[in-house]
Parts: sequence; structure tokens; C-alpha cells
Amino acid sequence: MKWILFFGALIGLSFCGREKFFGDQVFRINVRNGDEISKLSQLVNSDNFKLDVWKAPSAFSRLVDVLVPSVSLRPVKSFLKSQGLEYSVTIGDLQIYHEMDSIAGDFPDLASRVKIGHSFENRSMYVLKFGTAEGGRRPAVWLNAGIHSREWISVATAIWTARKVASDYGKDPTITSILEKMDIFLLPVANPDGYVYTQTQNRLWRKTRSINPGSRCVGTDPNRNWNASFAGEGASDNPCSEIYHGPHANSEVEVKSVVDFIQEHGNFKCFIDLHSYSQLLMYPYGYTVKKAPDADELDKVARRAAKALASLSGTTYQVGPTCTTVYPASGSSVDWAYDNGIKYAFTFELRDTGHYGFLLPANQIIPTAEETWLGLKTIMEHVRDNLY
Amino acid sequence: MQRREAGSRTGLGARRRVAAGKSCSLGEGVSIAPLVPCQRSRGWTSPAPRRGGAAASRHRAGKLGPGRSGSGAGRRGPGAGSSAGRARPGRTRAPGSGPPRGRRGVARRGLISSSAGAAHLEPVRRTPRPPASMPPRLQPPPASGTGRPRAAVLPLALLLSLALQGVAAAPAGAGEPEDSLRRQDPELPRGLLEQAARAALHFVNFRAGSPSTLRVLADVLEGRARVNPKKECQVDLVFTTDRYNPEEGEERLGKCSARVFFRNQKPRPAINVTCTRLIEKNKRQQEDYLLYKHMKQLKTPLDVVSIPDSHGHIDPSLRPIWDLAFLGGSYVMWEKTTQFLHYYMAQLSSVNQWKTNDDAIDFDYTVLLHEFSTQEIIPCRIHLVWYPGKPLKVKYHCQELQTPEASGTEEGSAVAPTELNNF
Repeated sequence: MKWILFFGALIGLSFCGREKFFGDQVFRINVRNGDEISKLSQLVNSDNFKLDVWKAPSAFSRLVDVLVPSVSLRPVKSFLKSQGLEYSVTIGDLQIYHEMDSIAGDFPDLASRVKIGHSFENRSMYVLKFGTAEGGRRPAVWLNAGIHSREWISVATAIWTARKVASDYGKDPTITSILEKMDIFLLPVANPDGYVYTQTQNRLWRKTRSINPGSRCVGTDPNRNWNASFAGEGASDNPCSEIYHGPHANSEVEVKSVVDFIQEHGNFKCFIDLHSYSQLLMYPYGYTVKKAPDADELDKVARRAAKALASLSGTTYQVGPTCTTVYPASGSSVDWAYDNGIKYAFTFELRDTGHYGFLLPANQIIPTAEETWLGLKTIMEHVRDNLY
Repeated sequence: MQRREAGSRTGLGARRRVAAGKSCSLGEGVSIAPLVPCQRSRGWTSPAPRRGGAAASRHRAGKLGPGRSGSGAGRRGPGAGSSAGRARPGRTRAPGSGPPRGRRGVARRGLISSSAGAAHLEPVRRTPRPPASMPPRLQPPPASGTGRPRAAVLPLALLLSLALQGVAAAPAGAGEPEDSLRRQDPELPRGLLEQAARAALHFVNFRAGSPSTLRVLADVLEGRARVNPKKECQVDLVFTTDRYNPEEGEERLGKCSARVFFRNQKPRPAINVTCTRLIEKNKRQQEDYLLYKHMKQLKTPLDVVSIPDSHGHIDPSLRPIWDLAFLGGSYVMWEKTTQFLHYYMAQLSSVNQWKTNDDAIDFDYTVLLHEFSTQEIIPCRIHLVWYPGKPLKVKYHCQELQTPEASGTEEGSAVAPTELNNF
């Protein structure tokens, strides 16, 4: 059966005895009577679909939350339909938040889940904060992921990295020493509405899901919406474009939430944005070909990071400033960070180089995350040793 | 979105004088051997053979590139962007010297040549030197005719004698020490050599008509580009290729030399390309026929939703469908590639028809192309007819990006159909 293959591929994903299921969905089923409850039990108890009940019906709630592995989605959907069971697909990133919660729970002295805002469709935006000191505003690193919702490997890498940071603290000297000096903030899903949309409607959706008045086209490119040469070259003023910059800088609440948090914090030294695909490691600027003042240093750091990354499996990344390495892009997060005093600003375009593109196979998730981790550590080490 | 425009440059005078009257001897102190970096002459650059890059087709865990030194390992596929116009200081390269590839010559067995835009299939030939006075306009690529003597491959340096005004571009390398001297040439679209390589490869794949031996880009070894006042861009380049579906442990590197002519954002770049064979002809035919038999055995109607699925999974039994779809997609991607736009096939989103009752496979499907640098997803309906060993027949229709006021659905409905075919 197909699910055997799928689960086989997923075995590699387990760590700490917990298996990660990326792309599964949580169905919220409304059971209206005893008959429906027994039909649902029949479905859940059947071993075929490997369903996992997260929230069972009780006297107070007729809603059942069931985690459905992605391979089972189609048969389960048709079963529910044929039995007349009412259901809705809850936010696809529920399990990401579930995992963040679980990391914070497993490592309470190090990690905490912080709400920094909400999305256009009112989903919460959570970051994981890793810090070893109480109070104060330590120099900090921001890891941004999932701003373009179809780049699933970015989200997967981020959540893997979160657990890696937590697990390796106290064991790995590098991450331990990094955390002794700096805090790490990790936002695995910077675009939750888009992410859910890719799970439920359109796998290749990129933008936010904000409504554009006067247009039938939805969404703004959240990585053209930052206040760094906003609406310059490398963005579009057409709401139907995938690189639509939005009506004005920070118009997207998802972007504004991050901007506000970082500015309020005031002591970020490093901002890394994870994307896919193309295997590139880039630094400012995207909005101009002019050399950034710190370009030489950033280039050296990036090359070291790319080398470290390649050392694991031979995956090679090209290094350079965004504008000339990939294409001009204005209003990007990394340029904004850099122009706001966050010197160590980098963009990763993760695997691959076009064969699978956004649809990177699940069996490449862990190898990607593991090699990227080496690159991230290299950068953070340098930041640790060059705090300003 | 604004795009950088390719401009033109003057200043060919000095080189022109040098070029005239010289044979293919090398200037002082310059030696050319296969795959060494080309020395730079004023205004022209060529990259050193780039080391490393992960192949687009496969990520090879733990494997180093085949016998190559330098930083990084593995091979880079067509996906990676790179900068153009990086200048490297060096000695003047004497014109008239052939590219490394020229040593082996066209007469070598097992070469596959194709051209598009010229109405014939011929290996790239050396042209006789034109007269010293040259009009400053783009001349059409030298027409090859039967009367022309067979010769070694057209030396890249002979471009100097084609009176175009132009600049050269070099791709960025990964971790090369010369990078500190990189400068951005504002007149040339970035990654121009990679663009040309991609276009050429799509064309090679289409012409080969073989879903079992598709190629992807490994490295660009050297290249030259010229831009004319009409902003049309001619690129001559040499690049290496990998198999799209490499077999376990297989390390086959093909080599191609190509001339690609971009028509300033108009579709259908003209391509003239010669490649070494990647696979023995018999083996290729065998593998194609196996694929064909496999396809004939698939039960219709195909129960296919999308390939790959959202998690990048392709059922092994359906892999041949993907490969055939990619073959048809190559035709589309060739035609659509310009100096500024390139494509990857993101997903086979639906199969409209799969017929095998006659001998040939009759395949009607929709793919989603991912367009760089606009990031657009372009649905293209493709209809192809394939039989192993026969040229591929294909026609297609891609949807256009809708305007802000368009009344189509947000997912994009066809506004201006572009129908092109070779039926």
C-alpha cells in the first residue's frame, strides 16, 4: 500500500521519539448524534488511515479534531462525505503550533512561545524564543521562515531547527556558547494564511491572503512589502502579480507584526530569512546593485557558511548579493533589516535547483535541515564573536 | 516590474584591428587547453570552469564531483541564479583562437547537433573571416550550406569578427578566489550565460525526443555575449550536462556548445547547438522503448491528480508520465525562455487525455510552469504525440497573467492565448 512507502519515508523524520507529519491536515468533525459518533469511531479505529484524535467529543463539545495523515486525506474525505459527516479543515499550521508548544513544554528553561501578532485572517503568529537569561534585551538573532507559503521546506527546516536548538543546548558547545551570549527568535510560519491556503486550496500560492480593494486578485507578496526601497525595482504594482508589493509598506499585518516586534526589542544583530528554491545564500542588497557597506564581511561569512553547509552532503550554494545573484527585489525583509541596523542579514534559498522546486520530496526535509543547520551555526558563531 | 535593459557598447575597434588578418594562432603568452579559464581581452570575460553545484536532477548524498578540485562538490542545476558581467583581469586573449572544444572538432563520432531558427540541422561550423570593414549591426548567423568546407567548431573568438557591439558576461562561481574582482555589468542581464544554457538545453531535450535521456545543466564552462542596438542578444557558450534521471552510481557528463540568439523578450530564441552523446544510441532507444511499453500498459483513464503530489512524491509507476510531460514541457520552455525569463516545470496538474490505442502515445495534459524572475505560475495545456525514435509533435497554449482589471478568477483564466505548435 502506498502509505507504507510514505511512512517509510517519514521514519527518518522522527526524533525525540516523535514523528513529524508535514502536510497532514486536522479535520474538525461535527458529530450531531450518536449515529455519527459511531460512524466516526469506525473510521478512527480502522487501522487503515492512521488517524489520530486530538480532541475527542465530550459533553461540552460536539467537535472532534482528528489529525489525518496526508496520504489518507482523499479516502477519509470521501468516507466522511459518503456518511454525511460534516467537517471542516482546521488551520493546516495547527501542527506547527502544536510542535512549538511541545518544544516550549519540553525545554521550559530555554524556550517559550511568544505571540507577536496575527494574520489577515486572524491566525495567531507565534515565535519561539530561545534564551538563557532572564530580563534584559540580549543581542538577538531572528530566524524567519515560511514568508512565501509554497516554500514548505522553509517551514519544515525552521521547525526542525527549533527542536535542534533546544535539544543541543548544553550538549553542543557551539550552540551552547551562542545561547550564552544571544537570544534566538524563530518564526516558522511568517505567512500563516498563505500556508493554510497551500494545504487546502492551491499548493503553489505564494502571497498573503489579504483582499485587494477593486481587484479580484488576492494577496500581497510579503517579501516585497517591507520598508526598504518599497515599490522599487523588482516588485509589481499589479495586485494579480506574484510580486505585488501591496498598497504601502507594512500594509500586510504579518509584516507589520515582525517589524513592530523587532523595533520594539531594539537589539537584533542578525536576521536570516529562509526561502526556497535555488540553493543560494545571499546578503543585501536586493533593491540596488550598489554594494552594501558590509558586503565584504557578509560575503566572507556567507562563503564560510556555504562551505559548512556543503560539507555534509555536497550540496552547493551560490553566494552573493541578492540583486546580482538572483534578481532585483525591492521591499525585502533582509534589506529592511540591514538598513535598520541589523548587520548580519542573510537570505537562504534552500533546496533544490529546479528538479522538484517547491515540491521537494519529504525524504529531503531532514537532509536539508541538517545541512542548513551547519550554515546557520556558522553565521551565528560569527555574530557571537563580532557583536557590535 | 521594471527590467534591466541590455544596452550596447562601443569599443570594438582595437579588437577588430587585431582580429583582421590573423589566423588561429594564439597571442604571446597565452595558452589554451581544454577547460582552462579563458584569458580576458578587453570587454570580454569568460568564467573559469565552475566547481561544484548540486544537480537539479538529483542531490547526490555524500558524493563529490567527478574528479574535480576546488571548493564544493556535487553539481549545480539550472536553477541557481548567478551574476553576469563579472570581469576578471587577465591577459589579452588573442582572437582567432578556438574554444577548447574546438580541438575535438565536429567530425567526432557521436555528436548530436540541432538548430532552431535556422532551418537546418548542422554542426556548428567555423566561418571564414569577414573583411576588415564591418558594419556596426547585427549580422545573421553565418548560414551554413552544403558548399561550406567541414571544419572544426566555430571558434568563439570569431565572434569578434562579426561586427556586433557587445559585452561579455560571466557567471558567478561558487567560492572562487577571483570573486573579489567581480563587477556588475549593468548592460547585460544577469546570469545571461545560464539563461542561454537553459534555452539551449530545453531545445536539445525537445529535439532529442527521448524521455529516458533528458539532460539538465551541470556547468557553464565559457561563454561570450553580444548585444545589438535592437537589444537582441547573441550568446555563444560551452556547457556540460547531466542526466535528468541519473542511474545509481552513474556519472555521465555531456558537453554542448551552443549559439543562442535572444530576440529582446520575444519568444523562440534561435538555437544552434551541438552536444556530445550522453548515452549510446542503442541504449537510448532501448530505454525509450521500455518507457513506451510501460506507458502502453498503464490502465486508462489514468487516475492522476497531480504529479508530483504536494509532498514531491511521484509514484514510480507514473514516473514515465512525468518524463514525457517534461519532454513536451521542454518545447514550451524553450520557446518561452528569453534573456530575462526562464522556467521550471513545477507540476503536472492534470491529465486530460492519455491515448495509446494507435502506435503512438497521445498525451493531452496541463503543466504549471514556474517563471523566474516574476515568480508567476503559468498553466500550460500541452498536447503531444510521441513514438520512440520519432520526432516529438507538440502544441500548447499557456495562460497569460491577468491585468488588474481582468474579470477572470483570481487563479488566472486565459486572457490572451498564445498558441504555437509544430504539428
